[in-house]
Amino acid sequence: MQEKLSRRNFLKLVGGAAAAGTAVAIPVAAKGVGQQFVPYVKPPEEALPGDATWYASTCRMCPAGCGIMVRTIDGRAKKIEGNPAYPLNQGKLCARGQAGVQSLYNPDRLKNAVKQNGRGSRSFEPVYWDAALDEVLAKLDSVDPSKIVFYAGTMPDNLYYLVSEWLTAIGAPAPVIYDLHAALEGRAVSLQAAEEMFGAAQMPVYDIANADVVLSFGANFTETWQSPVAYNKAYGDFRGQAGGRGFFIQCEPRLSATAAVADEWVPIRPGVDGLVALALGRIIIEERLGTAGTLGQIYAGMYRGVDVPTIANAAGLEIEQLHRLARILAEADRPVVIPGGYTAGQTNGYGSYQAIQALNLVLSRLGRRGGVYLSQPAPAETLLTMPAPNSFADVQALIERMNAGQVEMLFVYGANPVFELPQAAGFKEALAKVPFVVSFSSFVDETAVQSDLILPNNTYLENWGYQVASPGADRPAVACQQPVVRPLYDTRSTASVILDLAHAMGGAAAEALPWGSEMLFMEDVASILFGSSLNPYTAQTAGEFWAAFRQHGGWWSDRPLQQEPEPVGLGQRPIIVTAPAFDGSARDYPLTLYPYPSVVMSDGRGANLPWLQETPDPMTTVAWNTWVEINPATAHRLHLKNNDVVKIVSPQGEIEATVVEYPGIRPDVIAIPVGWGHEDYGRYAENRGSNPIDLLAPITDPESGALAWGATRVRIERTNRTHALARLESLHGEGRESLS
Amino acid sequence: MTTRLSDNPTTRLSDHRWGMAIDLDKCTGCQACVVSCHAENNVPIVGEEEAAYGRTAHWLRIERYWEGEYPNVKAKFMPVMCQQCTEAPCEAVCPVYATYHSDEGLNGQIYNRCIGTRFCGSACPYKQRMYNWFDPVFPEPLEQQLNPDVTVRSRGIMEKCTFCVQRIRRVKEDAKAEGREVTDGEIQPACAQSCPTNAIVFGDLNDPESRVSQMARSSRAFRLLENLGTEPGVVYLKGGETRV
Repeated sequence: MQEKLSRRNFLKLVGGAAAAGTAVAIPVAAKGVGQQFVPYVKPPEEALPGDATWYASTCRMCPAGCGIMVRTIDGRAKKIEGNPAYPLNQGKLCARGQAGVQSLYNPDRLKNAVKQNGRGSRSFEPVYWDAALDEVLAKLDSVDPSKIVFYAGTMPDNLYYLVSEWLTAIGAPAPVIYDLHAALEGRAVSLQAAEEMFGAAQMPVYDIANADVVLSFGANFTETWQSPVAYNKAYGDFRGQAGGRGFFIQCEPRLSATAAVADEWVPIRPGVDGLVALALGRIIIEERLGTAGTLGQIYAGMYRGVDVPTIANAAGLEIEQLHRLARILAEADRPVVIPGGYTAGQTNGYGSYQAIQALNLVLSRLGRRGGVYLSQPAPAETLLTMPAPNSFADVQALIERMNAGQVEMLFVYGANPVFELPQAAGFKEALAKVPFVVSFSSFVDETAVQSDLILPNNTYLENWGYQVASPGADRPAVACQQPVVRPLYDTRSTASVILDLAHAMGGAAAEALPWGSEMLFMEDVASILFGSSLNPYTAQTAGEFWAAFRQHGGWWSDRPLQQEPEPVGLGQRPIIVTAPAFDGSARDYPLTLYPYPSVVMSDGRGANLPWLQETPDPMTTVAWNTWVEINPATAHRLHLKNNDVVKIVSPQGEIEATVVEYPGIRPDVIAIPVGWGHEDYGRYAENRGSNPIDLLAPITDPESGALAWGATRVRIERTNRTHALARLESLHGEGRESLS
Repeated sequence: MTTRLSDNPTTRLSDHRWGMAIDLDKCTGCQACVVSCHAENNVPIVGEEEAAYGRTAHWLRIERYWEGEYPNVKAKFMPVMCQQCTEAPCEAVCPVYATYHSDEGLNGQIYNRCIGTRFCGSACPYKQRMYNWFDPVFPEPLEQQLNPDVTVRSRGIMEKCTFCVQRIRRVKEDAKAEGREVTDGEIQPACAQSCPTNAIVFGDLNDPESRVSQMARSSRAFRLLENLGTEPGVVYLKGGETRV
């Protein structure tokens, strides 16, 4: 886009102008120079050189969809801030959101469509977009549509709409939506449970800001969980309440950064979350604790057969501790109980999730201030929003189909299954049996390396889109995503590629997607919202609304509007929580592995951004590499110390990581952050650290089909090597952090 | 004992004494401020090996302190940036006057005057001055992310948090052009703007009504290493405790 004007041509131009006198403004002195010259004298009308222009858009660094304001100067994006008007994040933004400009200006981005000379060869040849699309069209034409699969991570709602309409029109199955971030935050289980218990498949929203007691089971809501900026904001308000700073209890085997800000950390054993919740419920009702104990008598049926002493034993807690927690909950004015991603990532995850949510029912917290709400989609429900992600069991079924040769063509968007799925699931091997694989990745990631064609998507700062907040704010909100800079390279938004494909295919596909461009589609979406009675800004015409929609960064209700969950699937029926099961025998694999999303890497998608690589982990202060957190007592027993490199062995595989003695973890559990261990994905990500997902057994919770990512046992073996981790804190009480 | 900043002759020169209050009860250690600071101030990346030597250039870091032992263990977060001392130890030791005190209470660093003796870094009790061991590297096109309002520092010079002085100047100039005073909360350094929990508040300590002044008067307020007499411009609010 930015072609250089050579000195020679510049002089020709100036000379030409002088010779031609005053009549001709831009003489065509040299062939083609005119086209180069004009952009230099005619900047975009809204841009003043050196002056910042701010564009409202939507963050796509995680599925939360915060509103952003991007500062651009001379056509370049410089700084991303939160959009103060957007009700979800209210002007705030997290570390990953801040780093978004580095995905735009990443030196390892694909600059055009490429074809790979043999999968896995990493030898790419540029192809013209038309030629690439023709190849895709030819394939689409020749294969049985039922053998086409679109595999995607959590997508922007606009793309989900276009893709699903297109797939339906051509007779292909619905997209398979699965990514590690969503798995680690328990998104699918949250939605599935909400549908069964509350009668609506909407993400629950926990009103932490107005609660006085928060009991969380492994929900790391100040780090990466579901909508971290909104929950961080709520946490700040929770601490700043006029009536006192609230009481926050976090139950999980590891002291996460979220547990670090809790008033009390309860290090329960892995997989007992639901059992503890059942015990608390039984104690509250049986002992008629507080108002909840009296009013909750009607729910006694839910706790039939709950054995408190056995649960206390299984959880590694004293009965007295359970009593204390039950009393704190029952005597609080506005308690709220939160099931987290780690709860869902167990073989009993779904039952546990229900047991925890049932506490909110017993405590009368559904639809109350400081309690639980459901995300409010209206009037956005007229827009097609992305449904719950698929379960891991669905992905396993897909892998089987791929192995059986029932998938002829695979599209991969916004997910990196080769990196993200447990190796034992066998995705990579199954992928080799798919004859034609197309990746939409902007970067050469592990999955793109296993594909035939890469049709690189624009980064989100160059793309159109909309996103219905889910989990939502205190009111319906739809964020508008718009390009803040011109696309840097010859990349294309996947939405426009789908439109182009549909139009070229003609027939039902072209009819289903009648929009000439994705912008026209967006205008259509805006016109749906224009009709709402809740509009936050005045617009007389649909065109005026469309301008306001982009200018404000979306649409949201002018007043709070919250949806109350109705406990349709809860009440009398006993809640069954099975004992957690683990892969690997306790004798050979004495430690339970807790792989957790890194606050900077998320599920690994942040690993190619240097700012995020260099940002220290809040708890260990480590950057740039993978570590394994071991309780000092366990480390001592195994003769391990900080910076020792160890081998972590599970029944499924082994990886290496560097030891961090971590005081805040159960002695029978080790924790490894997810995000490092990339083989591909650019210079900042490649060949650093290891991926704990490789260790996981592909076991699921039979009820939800979710991957039980917290249910693999491991052992540790010494390597007699050391690696000096890049830690902010020194290990000897000296150096930068030493203040005395 | 806290000296009133308004009594100090060095701060009386101007109408403003910029300060910051950080409520440790709200800080969740989420690192939003750290990345935000990198983005705003063109702070370079040094890579794993250099970082392991302690040569990261973060102008703002989150310190984490362990308390107690398993299972009664706690971790506390503390964001620490240049404390913008009123009696700054770094200023007196600079042989070339690259480090100076502004009349609004800021410790300034004049990059093109700095010769890299690192005396200021040794003198700073908060370890908040970063030395550029190498020239910063921004592989093309990462240089396009650079904020044109902030100089990119070269090898051999010291740098540190400026309280986003470029933002302070811009707001002051805008206010002056509009013929009005700067209002409280109008200036937001990058860290305060991004902080999701609103733990970081910036403002004028000379204005008794400003939010930062109100927070500085809190019973929870303290300053880092107060006994050294550096009179920092950053006030911390001790984390609270709820007992049940």
